Parts: sequence; structure tokens; C-alpha cells
Amino acid sequence: MWKYLLRRGLYALFTVWVISILAFAIIQLPPGDYVTDLIDDLRAQAGNVPPEWEERMRQIYGFDDPFIVQYYKWMRNIVLKGQFGYSFFYKRDAGEMIVERLPMSFALSLFSTLFVWIVALPIGFYSAVRRYSIVDYAASFMGFFGMAIPNFLLALIVLFITYKYMGAAVLGLFSDKFVDAPWSWAKFVDLLKHVWVPMVIIGIGSTAGLIRTMRANLLDELNKPYVETARAKGLSEWRLLIKYPLRHALNPFVSTLGWMLPGLVSGEVIVSMVLNLPTSGPVLYTSLVRQDQYVAAGFILMLSTLTVIGTFISDLLLAWVDPRIRLQ
Amino acid sequence: MEDLAMINHDQAVTDEESLKLEVASQWKLMWWKFRKHKLAMISGAMVIAFYVVALFCEFLAPNVPTTYLDIYATAPPQPVSLFYEGKWMPHVKGLTYERDPISLRKTWIVDESITVPIGFFVRGDPYKMWGFIPLDLHLFGSKHPGDPFYLMGADMIGRDVFSRLIYSSRVSLTVGLVGMVISLSIGILLGGVSGLVGGALDNIIQRIIEILMSIPTLPVWLALAAVVPIDWPALRVYFMISIILSLISWTGMARVVRSKFLALREEDFVMAAMLDGCGKTRLILRHMLPSFLSHIIASITLWIPGLILGETALSFLGLGLRPPVVSWGVMLQDTQKVAVIARYPWLLAPGGAVFLIVLTLNFLGDGLRDAADPY
Amino acid sequence: MADNNLLLEVTDLKVHFFTDEGVVKAIDGVDMNVESGKTLCLVGESGCGKSVTCRAFLGIVQPPGRIVSGDILFHQNGQVVNIAKLPPKGREVRQIRGKEISMIFQEPMTSLSPMYTVGNQIMENITLHTGISKNEAKERAIALLAQVGIPKPDRLVDEYPFRLSGGMRQRAMIAMALSCNPTMLIADEPTTALDVTTQAQILDLMLELQAKYGMALLFITHDLGVVAEIADEVAVMYLGKIVERADADTIFNDPKHPYTQALLRSIPKIAMRREELDPIKGMVPSPFRRPNGCNFHPRCPRAMAVCREIVPTSIQISPNHTAACLLYDSSVRDKKEGA
Repeated sequence: MWKYLLRRGLYALFTVWVISILAFAIIQLPPGDYVTDLIDDLRAQAGNVPPEWEERMRQIYGFDDPFIVQYYKWMRNIVLKGQFGYSFFYKRDAGEMIVERLPMSFALSLFSTLFVWIVALPIGFYSAVRRYSIVDYAASFMGFFGMAIPNFLLALIVLFITYKYMGAAVLGLFSDKFVDAPWSWAKFVDLLKHVWVPMVIIGIGSTAGLIRTMRANLLDELNKPYVETARAKGLSEWRLLIKYPLRHALNPFVSTLGWMLPGLVSGEVIVSMVLNLPTSGPVLYTSLVRQDQYVAAGFILMLSTLTVIGTFISDLLLAWVDPRIRLQ
Repeated sequence: MEDLAMINHDQAVTDEESLKLEVASQWKLMWWKFRKHKLAMISGAMVIAFYVVALFCEFLAPNVPTTYLDIYATAPPQPVSLFYEGKWMPHVKGLTYERDPISLRKTWIVDESITVPIGFFVRGDPYKMWGFIPLDLHLFGSKHPGDPFYLMGADMIGRDVFSRLIYSSRVSLTVGLVGMVISLSIGILLGGVSGLVGGALDNIIQRIIEILMSIPTLPVWLALAAVVPIDWPALRVYFMISIILSLISWTGMARVVRSKFLALREEDFVMAAMLDGCGKTRLILRHMLPSFLSHIIASITLWIPGLILGETALSFLGLGLRPPVVSWGVMLQDTQKVAVIARYPWLLAPGGAVFLIVLTLNFLGDGLRDAADPY
Repeated sequence: MADNNLLLEVTDLKVHFFTDEGVVKAIDGVDMNVESGKTLCLVGESGCGKSVTCRAFLGIVQPPGRIVSGDILFHQNGQVVNIAKLPPKGREVRQIRGKEISMIFQEPMTSLSPMYTVGNQIMENITLHTGISKNEAKERAIALLAQVGIPKPDRLVDEYPFRLSGGMRQRAMIAMALSCNPTMLIADEPTTALDVTTQAQILDLMLELQAKYGMALLFITHDLGVVAEIADEVAVMYLGKIVERADADTIFNDPKHPYTQALLRSIPKIAMRREELDPIKGMVPSPFRRPNGCNFHPRCPRAMAVCREIVPTSIQISPNHTAACLLYDSSVRDKKEGA
């Protein structure tokens, strides 16, 4: 098993490295850079700007270095010093902003994942075991519903409903008095009270898919010979269903984390933009539009790292759940 | 004693013959299975209806999307009645407004005194069908051109939401398709190579796919969309967005194709064909591809909703398509503020359209996949 | 036939499957008796209903199938229980399963769950039916594994099934089935998926255990070679009915039913030439289009015109030999001659 985990771990690191290159490259794609923006602003204010200024500024910012050099400097700073660079737009250290916002993104994604798992597992199980029952049809239908509605639209609708019927829109993750307060148990409870709205909005699309996957996997397992063996031993129906096919179906269930997480993180980004949550979404958007490259690249890198870590955790879980992998 | 006599054994054979096996083609079998799935059939019909609307949007929309009547900005949907004083005369009621002197906000009231008769096959605003046939016939609309006819209300500057909704369908339903063709080709190519050739090449391609799949798509889309220059013509932007949407989605198709090829490689009929001296290309094209063409079709149908949702999200954020191109996402840009939705909820109509098409495509895709499965 | 040895008395059992395409009469009126200490082999081609039969005896026939009518009388400790009438998920029948009547299955690869150790799965049976502690159960499991010939049982008990070979897995299954000393063991083609050498070993093991514990063995197979090896009595099934039943010697030396005769004739002998192969004519009919009258008549070399109309009942040919064929039905003959 350790060989397996080591291999997956190394591979995860490699993935993060490749993503860092991609992230940085994508940020560099738009023609011009922050200096272009600055110069345009200056021109709008002052009229003429001597061309040497542009070059000099580029030199100062290091924008005239070739891509590899810029990338290397950026990576070196991150890995060795934990520094992500400077945010030209917000005029602060980029790393600070990331540290401010990323944990919340992580927490929200985590909550959404838990939501999806806690809802999908029992419903998928029940749907498979009681096929064509009301629960099965209802779950199916709600599943399709959840998949079809764009998550940002759902967020808008939720906003609309809360605005219309409760007077104030449900924005943010904390009530006013806790927003800037230091962490405490009370603050955590307040978070729980607010987080369920974005959690459900983000998770509902994935829930649908997972319910169907669960149902399909379980149906496969229900017809396998070992189920019959258990029945012939005299186990009661529910007990044998939970001990055997459900356990077997847990395998693919755990490995769904790998593909689900990118979707959830994506969803988190856009929903947090609509609901204006204190997570990465709003900042990422602004930094992209404003070509604030270090902030943008940093966020994309860290968000992707989140999903890679998530995939690795799913590998861990899989090894724990499946003795066949554990005893390779 | 004839009863106890031996019976003729050729009877045995003809008894079997009565269970004649019809050799139906693969497509016929798929169609039979698909037919049983009522929901998928209905959804299929609806999807076709959607695309027909997209095809004939100019004719089907009562107004042209760019026309706007200032005074009717933010007007709510006009109530439709079919009878006027007992006679068949479809019409909508007129609208007037009162302006609050302090907030300057308009409050709309239905004005019973004004009736706007509507009819079928009316002559309205001129347009160019598919961009080049000049016509002015609309399927339905207000009988006197210029009369306000807002079936789903007006947007912030007085344009007809319903007409824009219809015109948007053409853009939203097709924007992903261009890139999808590219994506599909890459996916099948790489997936096929991966599955057939195997070995180190397969490993490399697999790793690339895994890396790409662990990147959250939306941030990448956002980043790529931000790259598109503001000054580009609408059509180029359209294609660019299409390509962006499909850049990462080829991985899903590649995986499906690869696993199908892997499974097929072991199949007896492939072995038989190879033993018969079949060349590799012929093997792929004639023997392997048809057997999972049905799966590809089902996968495509399930892929499109993702592209539609992606474009809608990007345009909603302002990073996708831009005016004068009108898509459902672009229409939803108006709804970014809660206060706006609260006051003018009909502006959410494009969201309903997206929801509907995604729903029906998913049902359809599900049905196709079920039908394709045993074969 | 000593009646105090009678373990299972099956009368006119009918099991039907209610599918979308129609009703399949998988078992259409089966009578059978199983005696303790003896081995009864249930023989037939694929699809004849033998697997469904043994599942019916445990009440584990799954929807869309169910027992429609008939009795399955199980004689246990002087009492008689009608398994056919017990609710399939109820407690009563579950106390019989695994404890009084055990079953082992065809595919040892997939019949044991790869997620739990061998020991866990054996102990589950033990603790389910007895009240003994986990440690005792484990010791008992180890002892059982030793009995079925598994080396190093104290180590293997903590192993997962996928680490064992096919033969070992089947032995483990047998150990599991015997863990509560059942009075009857049902074996559904347990050696079909094994290679010939292992097959022989497993058969030897089963006979040995049977002699030791004195239990009844109901052995399902389509392999007449196996039947020759282990059967005391043989019942031949075709399309959901028992067509002939006798002790092993009689079946092989003096079969009366045309189907049994055809089966025996179709066994290839080593010295035969290809042209001499004698398969049974025709194909097994579709379960939805059963022939009228006798099920076998379209393929029967001795069929008579009356076989098309009358369904044969089981005729007693000698004290321990029945055959369901109109050739031996004197009432049919009498009727004809009387006309």
C-alpha cells in the first residue's frame, strides 16, 4: 500500500507543478500587462506619456523578462519563501490576500462535498434497493432538476426569494457582528447557520450525478453471487444489503471525490461571486479582469492544488476502504 | 393405433423455426429500445423543437431584438386575452406607468382602455432571415406595427424580452458546437490512440488527461475568456468562446473512447477481423467505430448541456459573448443585482430557457445512453 | 425406504417468474424426497430449473420469481416445517438457512466477498445462529478450515478471499456452510468452475464430510461423470419437471425415460469417431413457448401422437424408480385399446 500511496503522492506533486506552469502561462496570455493598464490610466489623466516610461516600468516590475525567468522567479518565491508576489490592483501582498480567502474556499468546498456525500449515499442506496418506488422517482427527478439549473441562477433565485420575503438578501457567510471578529466557537456556529445556503446551491448539481452513480453501482452489486451467499446464510435483508453490496459500492463512491472536486471548486467560485462571499471567487474575477497577474495565477494555482489534494485524499480513502488495493 | 404411432421428427425443426430471429440492424434495435423510454422521446421532441426555433428565430419572434421603446423600459409582461367583448380577438392590454416623484421609479399599471390586437402572420419589423433574405413576416405579433407587444416584459432599455429570448436560442444553442467538433476530434484521436496502441503512449496521454481534469474548469475558462480582446468582432468572439469552452472537455470524450477501444480490443470479433488480415485503419473505421458510435452520440448529447451552461455563466459574468450578440447569458447580465430581480423578475426568463434545454438534453442523453448500452 | 430418514419432502412445487414478457414456469410441479445420509444428484441441461429448485428449498428465489404453490416439508427434530409457506424474509426461514440447510455455490471467485476476511465470513455464520463469543467462533472457524484441508488455517483465517486459489476458496465456502452442522447441504454445481484435479479433490472432501457428519447432500450438476462418482440417487430434470428418478445404478444401467436415455447416449467416449456423436435433436424450447403435452415430445425419438396432447405424470416403474413418460402409462394404453 505504501508504494501505491507514494506513487500517487509523487504524481500529485507533479500535477501541481504542471498546473503552475499552465496557470502562469494563461495569465500571461492577454496582450499587454499591468503596465499597459497603468500607462493607459496615466495617458487618460496626463495626456502624453513618454515611451521610455513604459519600458522602464516594465523593467522595474520585471515584465520584460522572458516567460521562463518570470515563471522561475515566481515559483521560487512561492516554494522557498511562501511569497506569491504583489497585487497591483489591490496594492497589497498577493500572498496575504490568498491566505485571507483560500481557507474559506476550502471550507466551503469541504462542506459542499460533505453535503453531497451525506445526501447522495442514502438516497442512492434506497433508490437502488427500492426501485420504482416514490423515493426513487422523486430522487431521480430532483436529481435532473438539480443538474439542469445553473448554480449561479439558483443563487440568484435564492437571493431573490430571501430579499422579497425576508427583507434582506442572504449575503455573506457571517452575520454582521462576526464578520471581523476573531475565531471562536460562536463564530463557527454562526458560520454553520449561514453556510448551508451556498453549500446546497453548490452541491446540488453534483448530488444528482452521484445519486445516479450510486444507484447504478448498487444495482450492479445487488445481482452478484456474494449477495446470494449472504442471503443463504440467513442474514436479514437490510443487514446483508448494508454489509455487502453497500460496502462494495463504497469503492466507486469514494473515488468520485476525484472528479467531483474540480466541479465543486468551480461552482464555489461562481456562486461566491454572485453571493459575494469572502472566498476566492470575487477576488479571482477582479484580478483576471484587471490583469493582476500574481493574484490571478496564485489563486488558480492554489485552487487547483486544493483539488489535487482532494484527489489524493480520495486515493487514501480508497486504499482504506478496499483491501484489494491495500494489500497490493 | 395411429395415436401411438411415432411422430415425424421434422416437426421438431419447424417448431423451432416459428421462433424466427429477425436480424435487425444495430440502429433499429437502438430505436426500439429508445422508443420505450417515454420521457426520452418527449425530451427528444422538445430538443428538436428548440433547435427549430433557433433555426427560424427571425420568423418566430414578434419583434426584432434591437428595437426598443424607451418609454416601455422595464415594463412587465402584458396580460394576454383571447376574447374581446365575447368575440375572438386575441390582444394584449396596454400599459401605462406612474412615476414616483421621489425615487423616480416607475410603477406599471395595466391600462384596460388600450388594447393591442395581435394576430398571426403579421407584417412587422423587417429583418434578414439567416442574415440575407429580407422579410418582414412574423409568425405572430401586434397587428399595427409599432404597438407595444411585450409577451415577457421589457428589459432595462425597453427591448422585448421574449423576442430576445428567441433570438438568443440561436446563439446559445450553437456556440458550443463549433468547438465541440474540434474537441470531439481530439478526443477520439487521442482516446483511440491511447486505447489501441497502449503502452507508454497510453500512460502519457492518461497522465495528461488526469492533470487537465483536476483543474477546476471555471477559473480556467474565466482566465481564457479574459484573454479575448475587447475590440474583436462579435463573430470572432463567438468562435473563440466556443473553442475555449471545448478546450478542456475533450478529456472526457478521450477517456470514454479509450475505455471503449480497450474493451473492444479484447473482443472476439476484432480478433477475427485481424486474423482475416484486416488492416489497422480499416479495423478501426469499419469494425470498431460503428460499435460505439451510439455511445459517442449519447455522450455528445450529454456534453452539450455543459457547454451551454458554460457559455451562460461566462456571458453572465461579462467575460463571454458581448453585445450586440445576444445570448441567454448576455441577457442575464441585467440580473446581477438582487434589487433588479426583485423588481423585474421576468428578466430571469433566459435562465428558465437554459434550465429547460439542459433538462431535456439530459433526459434525451440518458435515454440514448440506455438504448446504446447493450450493444 | 426408511421414513425416519426423510429430511425433505417436496410435493408439487411450482415456481413461476412474472416477467414483462410473460410468465416463465421455471418449476412446474416437482416432487422430490431427500433422505439424510444420502447423496441425491439433480441433473439436467442449463435452463431446466435445477438452480431455481434448490433456491426454492431455502426460500431465496428472488423477484420476479416466487413459489406459487406446493409444499416443501422439512423434517427437523421431529417437527415438520413447510418452507414453501414461510415468508421469505421472515425470521423462521432465516433460522433454517445456514443452520439446518446450507448451500454452496458455483463460482467461488465471486461467491465470497473480497471486502471481508475468510474468517469474518465464516464467523458471521456461526455468530448468527449460535450465541457463542467471537473468540470461540474464531477458534471454530480455524478448526473448520483445518477440516476442509486448508493448510495453516490459523493464518488463512485472517486472509482475504482474493488471495486464495479457486480450490481453496471453495473449501472455505464448504467450511462456512458446515459451520453450524447442517442436516442438509445443497451444492449448486460447486465444481463446474474448477479444474479437473481440484474438482476431484473437492468431491472427495465432500464425500468424506458427508460420511462424517451424516448429512444429506443435494448436488446439482450437469456433468454425468460427477454423478457417477458420488450419487446414491439421481433425479433428472427437464424444463421444470422431474422426468426420472432412481438410484444411481438404475439410472446408468436401465434408464427408462427417453430424455435420460438420450443424455446417456450423447456422452462421447474416448475411442469414438466424430461421426458417432449422438446429440439430442433440436434445441431446448424457449421458456415462453413450451410445447403442448409432454415437454420433451418435439425432441423425443420415441414420441407418440398422444404425447402432443397429454401431460405425463410420474409413473412408478419399480419401488425406487419413477419416470414421467406416457410410454409407461398403462392408463393411456388402456384408453386407446378400449376405444
